[in-house]
Amino acid sequence: MKAVTETSGSTEPTVNKKKKGFWTTFKEQKILYGMSLPFIIVVFIFSYLPVWGWIMAFQNYRPGRGIFEQKWVGFDHFVTLFTDDKFYLVLRNTLAMSFMGLIVGFTIPILFAVLLNEIRGSVFKRTVQTISYLPHFVSWVVVAGIVTKMLSVDGGAVNQLLMALGFIDQPIQFMAQGSWFWYIVTASDLWKEMGWNAIIYLAAIAGIDQEQFEAAKVDGASRIRQIWHITLPSIAPTIAILLIMSIGHLVSIGFEKQFLLGNPLVVDYSEVLDLYALNYGLSMGRFSFGTAIGMFNSIVSIILLLTANGLFKKFMKQSIM
Amino acid sequence: MARTKAASIKPSFSDRVFDIVNYTFMTLVMIVTLYPFLNVLAISLNDSVDTVRGGITIWPRQFTLENYMQIFQYEGLITGAKISVLRTLAGTLLGLISGSMLGYVLSRIEFQGRKFMSTFLALTMYFSGGMIPVFILIRDLNMMNSFLVYIIPGMVSAFNVFVIRSFIDGLPYSLQESAKLDGANDFTIYYRIILPLCKPVLATIALFLAVGQWNSWFDTYLYNGSAPHLTTLQFELMKVLQSTQGQNTGMGAGQNMAEIVKQVSPESIKMAITIVVTVPILLVYPFLQRYFVKGMTLGAVKS
Amino acid sequence: MNHKKRLSLLLAIMMLATFILSACSGGNNGNSASGGDTGNEGDSLEPITITYFSADSNANWVNMQDAVGKKLTELTGVTIQAEFAVDGSNQKLPLMVASGEYPDLVFAKGDANLFVDAGAYIDLTDLIEEHAPNIKKVYGDYMSRLKWSNEDEAIYVLPTLAAVDNEMLDAGGTFQIQHEVLKELGYPELKTVKDYENALKAYYEKYPTIDGQPTIPLSLNADGWRIMISVTNPAFIATGVSDDGEYYIDLETAEAQLHYKRPEEKEYFRWLNHMNATGLLDKETFVQKTDQYEAKISSGRVLGVIDQDWGFGNATSALRSSGKENRTYARFPIQLDETTKDATFQDTGYVAGWGVGITTSAKDPVRIIKFLDYLASEEGQILMNWGIEGEHYEVVDGKRVIPEEIQERKTYDNANFTKETGIGLYNALYPRYGDGVLDSTGNYFTTNFPETIMKNYTPSEKETLQAYGVEMWKDLWPKKEEFPVKPWGVAYNIPVPSDSNINITYKKVEEITRKRIPEIILADPSKFDELYDQFIQELNAAGAEQMEQEYTELVRARVELWND
Repeated sequence: MKAVTETSGSTEPTVNKKKKGFWTTFKEQKILYGMSLPFIIVVFIFSYLPVWGWIMAFQNYRPGRGIFEQKWVGFDHFVTLFTDDKFYLVLRNTLAMSFMGLIVGFTIPILFAVLLNEIRGSVFKRTVQTISYLPHFVSWVVVAGIVTKMLSVDGGAVNQLLMALGFIDQPIQFMAQGSWFWYIVTASDLWKEMGWNAIIYLAAIAGIDQEQFEAAKVDGASRIRQIWHITLPSIAPTIAILLIMSIGHLVSIGFEKQFLLGNPLVVDYSEVLDLYALNYGLSMGRFSFGTAIGMFNSIVSIILLLTANGLFKKFMKQSIM
Repeated sequence: MARTKAASIKPSFSDRVFDIVNYTFMTLVMIVTLYPFLNVLAISLNDSVDTVRGGITIWPRQFTLENYMQIFQYEGLITGAKISVLRTLAGTLLGLISGSMLGYVLSRIEFQGRKFMSTFLALTMYFSGGMIPVFILIRDLNMMNSFLVYIIPGMVSAFNVFVIRSFIDGLPYSLQESAKLDGANDFTIYYRIILPLCKPVLATIALFLAVGQWNSWFDTYLYNGSAPHLTTLQFELMKVLQSTQGQNTGMGAGQNMAEIVKQVSPESIKMAITIVVTVPILLVYPFLQRYFVKGMTLGAVKS
Repeated sequence: MNHKKRLSLLLAIMMLATFILSACSGGNNGNSASGGDTGNEGDSLEPITITYFSADSNANWVNMQDAVGKKLTELTGVTIQAEFAVDGSNQKLPLMVASGEYPDLVFAKGDANLFVDAGAYIDLTDLIEEHAPNIKKVYGDYMSRLKWSNEDEAIYVLPTLAAVDNEMLDAGGTFQIQHEVLKELGYPELKTVKDYENALKAYYEKYPTIDGQPTIPLSLNADGWRIMISVTNPAFIATGVSDDGEYYIDLETAEAQLHYKRPEEKEYFRWLNHMNATGLLDKETFVQKTDQYEAKISSGRVLGVIDQDWGFGNATSALRSSGKENRTYARFPIQLDETTKDATFQDTGYVAGWGVGITTSAKDPVRIIKFLDYLASEEGQILMNWGIEGEHYEVVDGKRVIPEEIQERKTYDNANFTKETGIGLYNALYPRYGDGVLDSTGNYFTTNFPETIMKNYTPSEKETLQAYGVEMWKDLWPKKEEFPVKPWGVAYNIPVPSDSNINITYKKVEEITRKRIPEIILADPSKFDELYDQFIQELNAAGAEQMEQEYTELVRARVELWND
């Protein structure tokens, strides 16, 4: 939004001789404008126009009446939200799981992509890559089913293995321990999405000029050194961009996996904000309350985004805005 | 040429250790990630009643194609598949065009709309007006019961734009400079220089777009549910899935056990649906994969 | 050259894109011709298209190209253009209401209040009075149960999900025990949970493993909403009360109370706690998913389950098909102690509830109500339930019979059978009679009746039933005549006003219950009382008492509305 004032400030024919006027530059850059403005308009229509819906957060919205014929309630829904103990519980779970997801689910795919790039056999490389992204297409229902079965005390593979190796005498009820739930979710997510999330880094690596590697090889640089000095610095911008965008998404992580992996014994650890919003908002017909949660979510996300963007800009010279 | 030169340099001890560890790790990854898919495949090919007993791992216990036949008996799958293919093609293409153009424009430091547009786009990833206003908007734009609703509203993805931009940022700027000196305009630079160099990232984005388009069914349901000629494969399969999961109004409470019992168990059908949905995307994959698995040499483009 | 090739490729692609765009957007104006030009007398057979949205899914709909559908169009001129929800959560209904455009006919399930609230449903009272003698006949004395509320006595919805005078033909719940266990123990008398426990225990001690795997004496299903069916509702049933959702409603005062608060039910949960403490309850009860639960049952090593028969129907068929029919289940009206009797069959009268409504978008409501009236006629109902005479059933000596091969298909190839014949496909559309009701020729309206059920019992079922000296499971239960009729129908379909806090408190209560009850059952028996008291306190702290009071008012209003 700051950008608006900045650019519009320069519309007046400038006193500063070095800086050209807005319209002069506009004309010079007309092709660039032509290539971007139509899309920006589409974004405006489909993303910005519907924001009038946020008005609902200050009403008791009931469908079938105009937006201005509704009952106004001010900040009631926000008060309800912020005074509900449950809200803080689900917020804690959401943040815990998304931080864990960010640490593990972000770094391992990078590592995987980098290591995969070091595989020289083309067929092997392609095979590994193809297989690794397959779980992405398997729904969470199925993955949750497999995980629950593997961790079962009734003949589950993990317990049988641990018993065979003599680590434990009695099978452990993994799924009944609230404290383990976050780890189980993080690990399952990694299993399902690692290959898929690595694709983007593979593309970034593929964009590195091969001549750099050739030169390093001639200089006798070891593989690790090549990774450290060529591969990682080259994909650093991509990593930074993705990290900034993911940080913005910390509060909205969906609820499917937590819901499907959860059970009555671990609900205090499994319920997340998005599920809370669905249960206490939309599925109860409380559109306004749902909207209020959505607004809270958006505002937190945007603050996180701007913070991450600013920090990265300052310390890493990378940013999306 | 360069390849043979590199190969002739003898790998050091540490490199060999690295390779062994790496290959072992990759093999492990392969085993672990192959399992869920094989499991789905095996269950989809297993007798649906037998599946209930559980314990199917990677091999069907009672082989049958019945589950697939059950699915393919439903009406509308052919039309659905056609529309799905069309929307995947059109949506991917449009997404690629919008993503690459915006990515390119926003990578140009001197572009004066850069900061505003970047912020404008970035924010869209983090808010939404909600379902009701969007629904009303689509209705007012006369996009209900039309194909356009599949490709226009979601045409621009901010995420894709930034990924492409960061890729372009990684390319040497000198290429653009020299083209400019040759008198190329901005579009020519985009088209002649940037697009060919962006193949790896475009292949990736194409994959994301295609998978997204191919898998979506909720927009079909919301906007085109009453237009049978516009429904997608995913939507049709979703119907099948919902119906096999029971709780049908048609079935009275007094229905006797024998009738309930012979209904197909949803488990096997669900898995067969997963396979039907995934296989087409898997077929496309190799064509895209070669662009992002293999590295490229800029020299070839330069000359 | 390379550039040229690329350019032409790009151009070709772009042309393809524009072609696709223009070709497909043409579909826009194709199908908006609902209503048509029929403004005249409704008896005409002039073709008319009625648009219809159902909040239930239905994959067998073939646009009325099934046998019954074609016949319907032929007889009435009506074609239904239907759309069915595919998301379990019905997110499309509020959108429809918000946008103000509706199909002619909407089956909105629990969201009917949205339509009424927005003035989208029309009042059907006069339409029924003038044009729908058959609908009136089907509802009969229950007409007053169609009224929306005490404040607004209009009829907006024709209840269609619940059939009129439907009789539960057989018992499907709740305490299930393997035929094999009963046989081994010489068919013991099973009246109380203690009897049940002793039977499971005796067999378990004798056979700690079955087919080499550990025997599980008792398992329950607590996955998602099923916890209500298998864990909490049985507390109701085992203490002599019939299911009324989450509330216990006093017959005399109509006072509503969360049923867990009843001291009797505390004792039932104490028994479950004891079952767990003595190792008889499956350790994974509260962790397992439904497919694991069913897999265990299908292995034949779960001696008893507390559940409805449809809760593990897949497992039952797996047991049958793998030759373990003797390990399927018998069921009994088991009570906590001998002071109560199982009220499963307590009469509720007609429960009304969910159904279809005609919206303000309908151009010719008269024609629509006449169509629905035809469906509700005796001829219509027989067509919907039995199909076409000579094709799907025959009349032998005045009795309707389904030929063997048709019945075979109906049982074993139900989806395709439904798609081809359309039998049972239109049930959500019209008011109809339920199982056990006879038509003017002395035949049953529906195709389910006691004779077919008895015929379909498996050998083990027959053996067990014989051992206990009865013909059907139902015969083991107290008859409905032994209980007073509930004047409010069923409490769970009383609509809650949208501005009330009941829904929110209810959700909170539900969350607390689903969390605490498992904890209480798994706790050390010495802590049981303390935990249970805490649980009740927690419910009250969440606003349960206030909710109960408000709900009591709703029940009383319903009783007043329905019985004046």
